[in-house]
Amino acid sequence: MLDLPSIGSALSILTSSLTAWIYLIPGLLIGLFFGAMPGVSITMAMAIFLPLTLYMDFLPAIIFLTAIYTGAGFGGSVPAVLLNIPGTSSAVATTFDGYPMARRGLHNQALGVALASSVIGTLTSYVLLLFLIAPVSSVVLRMGPLEMFAIAVWGMMLLGALTGSSIWRGLLAGVFGVLLGTVGMNTAGYIRGTMGVPWLLDGVPTIPAMMGLLAASQLLNLVNTRYLIEDEADRKISFGHILDGLKLAASYPLIIVRGAGIGVVIGAIPGVGSSISNLISYAETRRNARDADTFGKGNPKGVIAAEAANSSSEGGAMATMLALGIPGGGATAILLAAFAMHNIIGGPRFISENQDIVYAIIFSNFAQALLLLFVGLGFVYAASTVVRVPLRYLIPSVLVVSTFGAYAIQGSLAGPITLFVFAVIGWAMVRYQYPVAAVVVGILLGRLLEANLLRTWQISRGDLGYLLERPGAILIFGLMLLSIVVTAYTRRRRTRSAAPMVGEVGS
Amino acid sequence: MKDPRTRPVVDWGHLALLTVIVVVVVAYLLDARATSLNTNNLLLVQPAAILALILAAIVLPQCIRRDADRQGATDRRAALRQVGRVAALACAFGAFVLSLETVGFDLATFLFVALGLYICGERTLWLIGVFSAVFTVAIVYGYQMLVPYPFPLAVL
Repeated sequence: MLDLPSIGSALSILTSSLTAWIYLIPGLLIGLFFGAMPGVSITMAMAIFLPLTLYMDFLPAIIFLTAIYTGAGFGGSVPAVLLNIPGTSSAVATTFDGYPMARRGLHNQALGVALASSVIGTLTSYVLLLFLIAPVSSVVLRMGPLEMFAIAVWGMMLLGALTGSSIWRGLLAGVFGVLLGTVGMNTAGYIRGTMGVPWLLDGVPTIPAMMGLLAASQLLNLVNTRYLIEDEADRKISFGHILDGLKLAASYPLIIVRGAGIGVVIGAIPGVGSSISNLISYAETRRNARDADTFGKGNPKGVIAAEAANSSSEGGAMATMLALGIPGGGATAILLAAFAMHNIIGGPRFISENQDIVYAIIFSNFAQALLLLFVGLGFVYAASTVVRVPLRYLIPSVLVVSTFGAYAIQGSLAGPITLFVFAVIGWAMVRYQYPVAAVVVGILLGRLLEANLLRTWQISRGDLGYLLERPGAILIFGLMLLSIVVTAYTRRRRTRSAAPMVGEVGS
Repeated sequence: MKDPRTRPVVDWGHLALLTVIVVVVVAYLLDARATSLNTNNLLLVQPAAILALILAAIVLPQCIRRDADRQGATDRRAALRQVGRVAALACAFGAFVLSLETVGFDLATFLFVALGLYICGERTLWLIGVFSAVFTVAIVYGYQMLVPYPFPLAVL
């Protein structure tokens, strides 16, 4: 599985010259800063700095861009925890427990937990990548629409965890989200629900809708509050507490490894990636947790699951890009463009002929992940000062930043208008105890569900027997079913074993 | 005799939200059906819309609640004042979003931040003016550096 001479060659490339390393910290800082800015995506950050890499050698160029990728991957978690703003779709699940932790005065710990989970998740994913790059890429090549549909359904199972106080309101919110996610032109060319608005042809702009539902609606709700954290004593910015968060994350290795595994496999699938892996990892962790009831109310395990999965998706996406030359998303497309700028074509041939370079990229990512721990510590310490800013200043400022970010995505009013509409809808839903996160999940998965269901329908001509020809899909559905059955069984056992104890206490 | 404090009360706000959801779902379903009745068009949309309507029907009774803890007149006034502030900020935000391209990002931002600060409780006028101006300059120049799209401006 490991080619030792190539590994030796990779290590000598990395240690023979400083040029490969000097771009690491600037890349991480750029990534952290851009990732933390709402609306400025990882892709945008990498695209802005892509022309700079023309003047670098190939390996330093790729290391610089992957450092931005790694930094931005974590940067998005900072506004998700502190302000409930998921700057990217991969940070959605981080908001579920990260923001409640921050509101309870556990902002330092939440950021520490997120940082450690990201670092360990990234490291784990690249270790997995080191050994599994070939098998993962062969699995990706076998993925058809039915398998993608199965994965989207798996993501939808998160709705069960997001129903809040009323299961019916939660399900209604989720189905409403799915419908909103299918607005526009579907893959068969039918145009629905656009009300004649041209920019709705591509669907409801997802990131502004998410920012509106999760962040702007919360900001409207906070108008009558003085500070993000009400208790003055809890507003402390403590390096010690951030370190406590790091330790806390390290005490849940199983959640991190599971999140990393989900992240690598789902992240490797083109077009799916980190936006679903964080949801699936969160749902699986909640399903297996003894304290499932506290998820969504500030349980650090929720943050760990989400962050481990979204950061490890980077490794999965890199596997597909390096092994197959297929970009799974915008960021890996930019990396492929950087390859092309240096007259290198990604794909199976590249990996077989330049294994030393591939290993060098993987090893440099180990270093990036470790450096992220230190650079990220300083960054989250500075960012957490936001809890000390009075809300009367924070609310209009963050609404404006979100609006500029929403405009920056497409360069039109489509983003800001979507942000405003979903802010109002989100505010009303929060007021009447509908879980807005369920709408977000629905919007994220609606298009994916429809596109892959439609392709499956077209390929199978409506024949259900087609399912039997797709062992991959059967495996995914089987794993899902197994997960549900095992959870139900263990819950029942726990309830049974708890019952006599209650009886003893009562007697 | 029934306790008058637990009489059923319609939660009009919740009912309005549910009505909006139902109207959006029905309008979307009708629009999709008007586009085409082909399976390729309705495969997911139609069953999902019908499911949403069934769920809305199940949720409907939840719009009627037992008014066990009726608020006093003072509490009601305070609650109304709080909702009023949210509505004022939401209206200001809507006006800001819609005026961005016509008024210019800089002027619209300055006016919204100033008004937003006032609605959120800041009463020191010079602070409102200085903060709004500094923030507007920082955000406009900051985003202009980062983003490839032009921002229509009035003053800066």
